[in-house]
Amino acid sequence: MSIITRAIASADREARYLSYGELQAIRDFYEAGPQRLRIASILAENESQIVQLGSQRFWQRCPYTPSNSGNPTFRASCMRDQGWYVRLIVYSVIVGDVEPLQRIGVNGAKEMYTSLEIPLRNLVEALRCLKEVALEMMTVEDASEVAPYFDYLIQGMMP
Amino acid sequence: MQDAITALINSSDVQGRYLDNASVQKLKSYFDSGEMRARTAIAISANATSLVTRAVAQSLMYTDITAPGGNMYTCRRYAACIRDLDYFLRYATYAMLAGDPSILDERILNGLRETYNSLGVPIGATIRAVQAMKDVTTDLVGAEAGKEMGVYFDYIAAGLS
Repeated sequence: MSIITRAIASADREARYLSYGELQAIRDFYEAGPQRLRIASILAENESQIVQLGSQRFWQRCPYTPSNSGNPTFRASCMRDQGWYVRLIVYSVIVGDVEPLQRIGVNGAKEMYTSLEIPLRNLVEALRCLKEVALEMMTVEDASEVAPYFDYLIQGMMP
Repeated sequence: MQDAITALINSSDVQGRYLDNASVQKLKSYFDSGEMRARTAIAISANATSLVTRAVAQSLMYTDITAPGGNMYTCRRYAACIRDLDYFLRYATYAMLAGDPSILDERILNGLRETYNSLGVPIGATIRAVQAMKDVTTDLVGAEAGKEMGVYFDYIAAGLS
């Protein structure tokens, strides 16, 4: 849900038009739209590099983890999931809200990974590495736009 | 409920893809039109009552429908008619802001035709009023914004017919 649908839903609950303040916030949101698209494209274009570098950093920090056990399937699925999380973060950056990340990637994720016997602590570390390498590619301003989504994801995976 | 942005994201996610170029272009032009959308919403919300009044005056008021035996005869029916037109205008404005018509389906169109038929509300007259609303709204907000609002009024009319 973007700020637009959110404001519409709340106005609709009260059967009213959007207030000037709500429209002002939406205006700012429209205005920052191209900026968000640009940041999203940086992440999208560098997905494989982010996943590659993030994984290497992760395996240095957590050498004893399924994806580093020599099993190629585990390794591939770990990297695939990281790529997916980059994609969900791109969606969230574009919408300007954690909703896609939450709905697609966080709700139920802990339970899923636990049932797959993936150590959550390590997963969190992997996501931290993903965040670090992604933010290192950006200017401080761009990074401050993206960081909260990584933080939300990391928080959502905490054991 | 979705908007132009979430609609594209949902369809990309089903394919596990990033937004393709066409989608990004669509979003860019949506953001570019943002100022116009916000301005239009302000103008409409400030003039909502008079828009409905004028739309009714243009389309229904001086026809048989308001005479005894007509479907807007008795004030109670008249009131129900302008209440519904009020709803249509407000939801069309929401949809215009969102750049997506899904809210119209979800909040008004699903089951509306059946409801109107069972209540004996004439669909043709309703559509005429919606078209009139499109005209008076365009008069108020100008051609460009009026065209955008027209998309959603037409959507309502199409959903009713």
